[in-house]
Amino acid sequence: MAATTTAAPAPSSAFERRPGLGAWLFMAPLLLWLLMFVVVPTVMLIMTSFVERDALGRLVYNFTWENYIRAFDWKWLKILLVSIWYAFLTTVICMVVGYPVAYFIGRSSDRFRTLLITLVMIPFWTSFLIRTYAWIAILSRDGLLNSFLMSASIIPEPIGMMYTPFAVVLGLVYTYLPFMILPIYTSVERLDGAMIEAAYDLGAGPVRAFSKVIIPLTRPGIVAGALLVFVPSVAMFAITNLMGGGSNPTIGEVIQKQFTSARNMPFGAALGTLLLILFCVALWVTRTRGRED
Amino acid sequence: MKIKTHLLPAAVAAIAGTLFLSGCDKPATSAAPEAPAEAAATPETAPTPAAPTPEAATPAAAAPAVNDEPKELNLFCWSEYVPQSVIDAFTAKTGIKVNVQNYASNEEMLQKLLSGGGQYDLIQPSEYIVEAMMKEDMLMPLDHSLIPNIVNLAPEFRALDFDPNNKFSVPWMAGTVGIVVNVEQIKDPITGYADVFQEKYKGQIVVLDDAREIVSWALAANGLPMNEINDETIEKIRPTLQSWLPLVKVYDSDSPKTAMLNGDVAIGLVWSGEGALLLDQAPEKFKWVLPKEGTHLFVDSLVIPKTAKHPKNAEMFINFILEPEISAMISADFPYLNPNAAARKLLSPEQLANVASFPPDEVVSELQTFKDIGEQASVVDDLVTTIKVE
Repeated sequence: MAATTTAAPAPSSAFERRPGLGAWLFMAPLLLWLLMFVVVPTVMLIMTSFVERDALGRLVYNFTWENYIRAFDWKWLKILLVSIWYAFLTTVICMVVGYPVAYFIGRSSDRFRTLLITLVMIPFWTSFLIRTYAWIAILSRDGLLNSFLMSASIIPEPIGMMYTPFAVVLGLVYTYLPFMILPIYTSVERLDGAMIEAAYDLGAGPVRAFSKVIIPLTRPGIVAGALLVFVPSVAMFAITNLMGGGSNPTIGEVIQKQFTSARNMPFGAALGTLLLILFCVALWVTRTRGRED
Repeated sequence: MKIKTHLLPAAVAAIAGTLFLSGCDKPATSAAPEAPAEAAATPETAPTPAAPTPEAATPAAAAPAVNDEPKELNLFCWSEYVPQSVIDAFTAKTGIKVNVQNYASNEEMLQKLLSGGGQYDLIQPSEYIVEAMMKEDMLMPLDHSLIPNIVNLAPEFRALDFDPNNKFSVPWMAGTVGIVVNVEQIKDPITGYADVFQEKYKGQIVVLDDAREIVSWALAANGLPMNEINDETIEKIRPTLQSWLPLVKVYDSDSPKTAMLNGDVAIGLVWSGEGALLLDQAPEKFKWVLPKEGTHLFVDSLVIPKTAKHPKNAEMFINFILEPEISAMISADFPYLNPNAAARKLLSPEQLANVASFPPDEVVSELQTFKDIGEQASVVDDLVTTIKVE
C-alpha cells in the first residue's frame, strides 16, 4: 500500500495542493533570486568561516574551528551586547515615535494619506550616507543646532552632541523610522473602525480601547516593524562609525574591519555567521510566541 | 594610507565603496561587478614585458608610436588621488583611453586584484603592500627604457627600502602622519605623542582609525622601532595604549579634518595631506607638528600587476606623470609630499612653505617606512579593538 502511494505520481487527493509546472514557472524568478542572493552568499559565508587565510588575506582552504574558538571571547560578546543595546533603544524609540505617525496617516482621508506616505518615503530618494553627513553638519560643535541654541541664548556654550551614543541612536532612529511606520500604517489602514466603535459602545475608555482593541489588531504591523528596525540596526556599521566616532565600535564595525584592514575574512565570516544564527533564533522565538497568542 | 580631500561627495562615495564592496561579504567583492568588460574581451596582443621588443628600447619621447597594444589602460587607483585633468591630458597626448576604478583602502584593492585577475594594468598601493606583492611575485618589472622621466625623482625616492632601484615601483606621492593642533583651544606647547594623549585633552582628540598607525605611535613613544611588531613589543606598548585610547573622541581615517574643522575636537594625529588642507584653510587656527618621538613616511607608488594586459600603456602613463608639469598639476590638487624634484621647482613658494606637505629635508631622510607585517595585521587590529572596548 505504502509502496503504491509513493510510486504514484498523481496527487492522491484533491485537497493535497502541489504546485504544477505553471506555478513553478511563475515562481522561477523568485527562486532564482533567492538562490543567487540568499542561498549562495550564505553558503559562501559559512564556508569562509571554517577556513584559514594567508598573510595577504587570501583564503586557504583548510578546515578549522579556530575562527569560532576566537569568536567566543568576552570582548566580542561585549561589543555584541552594546550593538544589541543600541538596536533595542532604536527599536523602542522608533515604535514610540512611529506608531502615532502611522496611526494618524492610516486614519486620515485618502488624498491626504497618499501625500503623507510619500513624505515618509522621500528620504529614501537620497543615500543614507549623505543624510548622515547632513546630521554631522547639524550636530557638530560649530554646527547648525548649537549655533541656533546659542544665538537664541538657550545654552551658554556649545554642547558636544556628535560622537556620542546619543548621536549613534539618533542616526539609527532617523534612518530606520520609515521601516517602522510603513508596516504599522498597513495594519492601521486595514483596521476596522467598527471594532473601535464597538469597544466604546461596550463601555471602554480611550485607553482601554487602545490597549485591548487597537494594539492587538495592529500587532502584525508592530512585530514586522520591530524586526525590520532591529535586525539591520544590530549589524549597521556606517552610521554607527560616522556618528559614534568609532570609539565604541559595534559588531558591524568589527566585522567590516576583519574584511579590510585586519585581512581576516574567515574571522569576519565567523562573526557574521554567529550574527545570522542569532537573528534566526530571534525570528523563531517571535514566530512561536506569535502563534501562542 | 591616504587622505581624502574636503570634497564631501567624494568622501561619501569612497566610504560607500569601502563599506559596501569590501565590508559586506565575500561574494560582493569577488564578483567585482564594475570591472570593465572591454578589458576582459580585449585579445591578448601584448608582448611579454620580460622580453622587450627592439622598438621598446627607443627613447620614450616618441612613446605613442612604440607599442602595438590596444589604446586602452585600466587604472585602479585611490579615490581622490588622480586628478581628472591629468587623465584627460594623457588621453589627449597618446590617444589611450583610460578606464579608472577607485578604491578606498589597500586591502580593498588587494582583494579585488586577487579575485579579479587581469582587469587592472596599473595600481597604486602603499609601500608595505608593494613589499608584500613583491614577496608574492605579483608585480611586473618595469622597463626603465620606457620611463626616462624617472630621473626627475628626488634621489631619496630612488632608493627606498622596499624597492631600492625602482625595479617594480615608481612613487606617486608620499606623506607623513603628524599632529595638528587647534591653537585657539590648546595653548600648551605640543611636541610629541605624549603631549597629545594627556588626561586634560580627554574627549578632544581625533586619531586615524588605523590600528597599524596607532600601534606605530605607541612603539615610537616607547622608544621602539615602529616595524618591530611581535608578542614582546605588543606587551610593552599595551599599557601605553590603555592610557591613550580612552582619551580619544573620534577615530577617522577618511576625513579626520572634518572633526577638527567642526570644532568637535581640538587636537589630532592625521595624515599630512589632511594637515596641509587644514593649514591652507585656516593658517592662524591650526598648527602642524611632527612628533619628536618620530613618525613614518608613507609612499604610494604606481606598480604593474603581473596579470596586466596593457603593461606598455601603463609604463607610458608612469612616464607621463613623471613629467614636471603634470606632477605639479597633481600637487596643486592633492598637497602631499611630491617625490618629483623637477616638479617641486614649478610649485609656488606658498605650496612649498606648507610644512605639512613638505617637511624639512633632514627630517624626511630620517623617516622610516612601514614594512609588511603579514598575519600580524590581525593581531594589531585585535589589540586596538580590545583596548577600545575595555
